[in-house]
Amino acid sequence: MILDILERSLRERSPLIPVEALLNTCEGSRMPDVYPALLTPEIARRVAEICPTAAFTTREAGDQLELRLSYGECIGCGRCAEVGHGAIVAAQTFPWTGVSKQRLVRRWNVNEKAEITVISPEPEQAREEIYALLGRALNIRQLDPGSCNGCEAEITALTNPFYDLERFGIHFVASPKHADMLLVTGPVTRNMAEAVKLTYEAVPAPKLVVAVGACGCSGGVFAGSHAVVGPVDAVIPVDAYIPGCPPTPAMLVNGILQALQRHHHER
Amino acid sequence: MKDNGNPEDLEPQQGSGDAVFSVPLAHSGAPARLVTLFGSLTQSRQVVVRYVFDLGDPDYRIIERRIDGPLASITPLMPAATWYERELHDQYGVNLTGHPDLRPLLFHENWSEEIHPMLKTPSEIPWVERDYPFLKVQGQGVCEVAVGPVHAGIIEPGHFRFSVMGDLVLHLELRHFYTHKGTEKLFEGSTADSGVIIAESVSGDNCFAHAVAYCQAVENAGAVSAPLRAAAIRLIGLELERLIAHIGDVGFLANDVGFVVAHALASSIKESLLRASARCFGTRYWRGVACPGGVRIDLDAKQGAMLSEAVARAAREFATLAHVILETPSVQSRFETAGVLYENFAEDLAVVGPVARASGVDLDVRRDHPYGRYRDLQLEVPTIHYGDVLARARIRIQEAAVSARLICETLGALPPGPTRLAVPFDGQRQGHSAVESPRGELFYWVEIEDGRLRRCHVKSPSFQNWPAMPLAVAGNIIADFPLINKSFNLSYSGCDR
Repeated sequence: MILDILERSLRERSPLIPVEALLNTCEGSRMPDVYPALLTPEIARRVAEICPTAAFTTREAGDQLELRLSYGECIGCGRCAEVGHGAIVAAQTFPWTGVSKQRLVRRWNVNEKAEITVISPEPEQAREEIYALLGRALNIRQLDPGSCNGCEAEITALTNPFYDLERFGIHFVASPKHADMLLVTGPVTRNMAEAVKLTYEAVPAPKLVVAVGACGCSGGVFAGSHAVVGPVDAVIPVDAYIPGCPPTPAMLVNGILQALQRHHHER
Repeated sequence: MKDNGNPEDLEPQQGSGDAVFSVPLAHSGAPARLVTLFGSLTQSRQVVVRYVFDLGDPDYRIIERRIDGPLASITPLMPAATWYERELHDQYGVNLTGHPDLRPLLFHENWSEEIHPMLKTPSEIPWVERDYPFLKVQGQGVCEVAVGPVHAGIIEPGHFRFSVMGDLVLHLELRHFYTHKGTEKLFEGSTADSGVIIAESVSGDNCFAHAVAYCQAVENAGAVSAPLRAAAIRLIGLELERLIAHIGDVGFLANDVGFVVAHALASSIKESLLRASARCFGTRYWRGVACPGGVRIDLDAKQGAMLSEAVARAAREFATLAHVILETPSVQSRFETAGVLYENFAEDLAVVGPVARASGVDLDVRRDHPYGRYRDLQLEVPTIHYGDVLARARIRIQEAAVSARLICETLGALPPGPTRLAVPFDGQRQGHSAVESPRGELFYWVEIEDGRLRRCHVKSPSFQNWPAMPLAVAGNIIADFPLINKSFNLSYSGCDR
């Protein structure tokens, strides 16, 4: 019987998703993207009004209206796309993962119908570069300081045969003392604050900290709760952010790789 | 037999120093099952405690008591109330007399004792240091093993304190609520429409069950029901969530006994369903789908056929895999007799869901308190009376097959019509609803005033089932703990809220 299963596994094509197909996709996350050509002041104001976590905000500057989108706050609820009249849609690609907090924010001039985000250029991701970079193994210690377990479910998926994070030489370890990277989900609760600090201290330097999910980036739905201290960077220093509620496994893979790359270039 | 619906039954009897309750009886004559108990505030800020019981009727029996001064604990009569009353004590500062254990539950050593967030919104909570006494098991050769809150692996935080003699676990004490996020407080003041976002974040892997339970409670308050088509789409989502959860759980159980091939295959089957979901609905875990009054999405015939095919294929593959897992001798020898939860323990602690059904307790909200499309279904509920890890695995395997069949049948006959209707929110309204989540009975109670939530209580199956888990671990070797814990597969965040 077990032989039947093994035989079928051998006969069937491996479900492994090729690296090229993983890069930048965000299907299933409902993260929004903006088509500036279709933006109107009405749409911009309406979207800012209904966004439940204030990821979309507007700002009047003289007679110009600015629309601002912070992915760190976005929970992918899809309400914006319902009132966006095509100007706001679910994103097809998503490079805003594993980046600095600053890079999670995008801005548009609504009157001019143009994106005005100022960004320092970040290197293009290429397959060769990723492989060259990951000459050594990366050990990740996942830490949950108060997540709803949505992010955990998706991080667990990284080890399944579709994503197989081990192919990049990346794997999850049991102790922070064995880790190069802390992958931290969720808002930090008051009850977990001390454990988070102790875990951070237990990771040997040099270490990378990546905040995961809307809660990890900004506190998300739980921002402002009396039982929550804040997002991850309220308690320990964070190097890179992976937004999403929860981020899909593809966004997590991209984020982890991108965080590594940034670190590599900065050193 | 007395009329059990009479609230006076719960009044302490006059003249006795220790207040005594007469617990309401179910139709069977046995004490009614406690579903939940929780506090809320009246307009004049008086504490009201509500006890929710299952008497065996389609609807629940809710008994209200206004509190002036101390309240007699029902824990000595109903052990299932113990954590609920400790939570009431923490959140509302209710002085419970006769409760055997009033150590703080939600708030850890760094919270000052005077904080009762649901009674009075704290402006600032001073950081203090308090003691938390664990139960000490004493005797020659008894050691303590402390595990957590940070565990080895991708797991939520919680603390386990084992008292062992050699490998044998004599006693296990839980210290949870590390992920307590003040969720019930966050609901206060939120609009009835956006409350669903908070409900979805109570327990991420069961987010759709939470969303539907919340929406149904709001609809109950508004005295409306979601349209037929919306109810059918909700059923598909709920059963898909159960199917995904059960496939994942069985895979992890195999993993915990070293059968990694089976785990890899189970995680592939699970992922294929999540990907089909993302392709059909743009969301892997059905976040942002349910809303008060219906659902925010619709699906066309093509999407339906695609999902139906993915589910049928997954169910077929899982059935083959499950058969292999259960017939493997090394798996049998680890699963059988490990972590037995006896039926009387399960009943005393009012355990719910697959864990209860694996211990011979015949409960399923879908059949006993039907909602939505389940009202029109004849659902068979499998039960097994062995109560061990094997029983909990087999229950999940059987339920997965039922879920897959329900999804395909519903997709094949989706009723036409609207997917959403308006819910009236004017004035002050209360409503409640229950859903059979993958982990068991999930109960929501809401109070809405002019479109905003005054109170939302969440009874999660994990909060109910956690106290029973240590009873299944005692008497086993400590190396079997991960397997037994996995076979319960309880949510920490869902419990801690």
